[in-house]
Amino acid sequence: MSELVNSRILGLGHHVPDRVVTNADLTRLMDTSDEWIQQRTGIRERRYISEDCGAADLGVVAAREALRSAGVKAEDLDLIVLGTLSPDVDAPASASLLQRALGVRGMPAFDVRNQCSGFLYMLAVADSFIRTGGARHVLVVGAEVHSTGIDLSTVGREVAVIFGDGAGAAVLGPEPDPRKGVLSTHLHSEGKFAEKLMIEVPSHRLRPRVTEAMVDGPGSRVFPRMEGRYVFKHAVTRFTEVIHEALAANHLTPAEIDLLIPHQANLRISQLVAMGLELPEEKVFNNIQRYGNTTAASVPIALHEAVTEGRVRPGSLVCLAAFGAGFTWAAALLRW
Amino acid sequence: MRSTILGCGSYLPPRAVTNDHLAGMLATSPGELGERSGVTSRRQAEDGQGASHLASRAAEQALAAAQLGPEAVDLIVFATMTPDITFPGSGCYLQDQLGCRTVGAIDVRAQCAGFLVALAMADRFIRAGKAERVLVAGAEVHSAALDFSPRGAAVTPYFGDGAGVVLLGASPAPGVLATVLHADPDGLERFWCEFPASRHRPTRLDVEALRAGRHFYQVDAEGMHPQAERILPEVIGEALECADVTREEVALLIVHYLDHRIARRAGRAAGIADDRIVATAEVAGHMAAAGIPIALADALAAGRVRRGDVVCTGAFGGGMAWGAAVLRL
Repeated sequence: MSELVNSRILGLGHHVPDRVVTNADLTRLMDTSDEWIQQRTGIRERRYISEDCGAADLGVVAAREALRSAGVKAEDLDLIVLGTLSPDVDAPASASLLQRALGVRGMPAFDVRNQCSGFLYMLAVADSFIRTGGARHVLVVGAEVHSTGIDLSTVGREVAVIFGDGAGAAVLGPEPDPRKGVLSTHLHSEGKFAEKLMIEVPSHRLRPRVTEAMVDGPGSRVFPRMEGRYVFKHAVTRFTEVIHEALAANHLTPAEIDLLIPHQANLRISQLVAMGLELPEEKVFNNIQRYGNTTAASVPIALHEAVTEGRVRPGSLVCLAAFGAGFTWAAALLRW
Repeated sequence: MRSTILGCGSYLPPRAVTNDHLAGMLATSPGELGERSGVTSRRQAEDGQGASHLASRAAEQALAAAQLGPEAVDLIVFATMTPDITFPGSGCYLQDQLGCRTVGAIDVRAQCAGFLVALAMADRFIRAGKAERVLVAGAEVHSAALDFSPRGAAVTPYFGDGAGVVLLGASPAPGVLATVLHADPDGLERFWCEFPASRHRPTRLDVEALRAGRHFYQVDAEGMHPQAERILPEVIGEALECADVTREEVALLIVHYLDHRIARRAGRAAGIADDRIVATAEVAGHMAAAGIPIALADALAAGRVRRGDVVCTGAFGGGMAWGAAVLRL
């Protein structure tokens, strides 16, 4: 019987497409303004793919960097998990395409589809497998190509201005010291709000799941829909709640957090959450200004940038938290 | 701490679709459809019903069998390749429909291996002490995604709609004895559904793709059969070895693959007697993530297996992803 061990992030990587799309660029497609977007969301620019390229195609670049920095070979992975709400194709899972792009076989590969909370959900999955000896090295990739699935006309502006393309990856492995690595993970959902932020079609509740009429023209049901104010209000409450839950489970207080990395949903949400926890600005990491909301990719991109910038050091207490469509929300505490 | 099965449930929508019904639409004969797919009848969910609705019915049975209410659940793992809507996942809908607390709801995509992935995940959460009672759901509404024109004649007859749910709970005595999972992307286009495709610019789903039928499953069954027939006995053997269980101890082997004739042959090749094999697609067609929990719940309900029996199950499908599990009921 193997003893339970902790898991720890051994390496990180991220990749965003080269093409920068500024708020000014968007004003040429829709009725919006740089001022409106920045005031509501904090976003100045985001990245879009410029050639046919799916979530796994972005993900594999991030994955290779994470593997390199972890010193783990792709063939030595025991498990590949990919989180996305914009899969390369309908089936199979994007994880299979990632596995092919990495040139490996044998280990399981599957997708976890939990939207903005995707990375936190995957972290909990990877941690569970590693803690119980079910896997030693796990690759977790959050990857999104939103730019092919948003309505870039004035009709879709409320959602379209928020999203960007990108990928972030982490390689996890065992950590024998129970005081280090992933300390705990906390997952939640509340499906009664599923349709407050969603893409409906294709919908397997419909017969058939998609028709030309559903795809075509204004009011197309294949684009995301969001009740922004509603999501905003719940996000602030649930972010705060689940961070307190994670801290309490580890007998820690907000003041002990060295760096909070919230899912990059909206800068105003992150600021309100930080204020509620009485965290000074230097203890909160935000990069939504440059990338927009990359859903499942946002936390690993931000974590990788924070580590690269030296804002996470050995011994740092890092809090990751997310809220998004589902509603789903989650938090994790990591001792670096 | 280990995990054990506390209750099972299954739900098949009542509307049966026979080969007679399909033959006209698919411009072929009932005999030809039966011969090609091995399926004579499958079920179809009603318009408006999604994977979560079918799973809800199955979950209510699983909870009733365990004499527990929805508040006892502390995690949902939902496997499907035909979710209610594009996002969020069907697990969130199930959480709401059952009236669970605001517990985590993980949505898994692993095609025909989806249920085994979800089961392995639930087992790991329980063993890691992150959850005590996990609802593991596999549900499909394939009928919403099938091509009911002559173009679909080779693929459509295989698939049916349905859901199965297993409630796993923490236990000092192991019920889930072993889970093994694998994938190999080589040749994954043999089970393929391209659109919506985020990699497709400028939009991931357009009228041209729909007109070309690129949003329908493309299945090269003949191409998959040899791999399924080789891999299923291998992975079943691997799981039995991990669980330290002999073939004689296996009361029931549930083999999950698109074509039940291949599945049954693979089960025999794994060294299990024919009368102890269930091929999931025999009853009501193939249901990617749902076939295994439905077969398990039905075998329990029919008294074919009982508490204490060892059940082994193996699956092979799109991805290519496959796996096996050994359970002591």
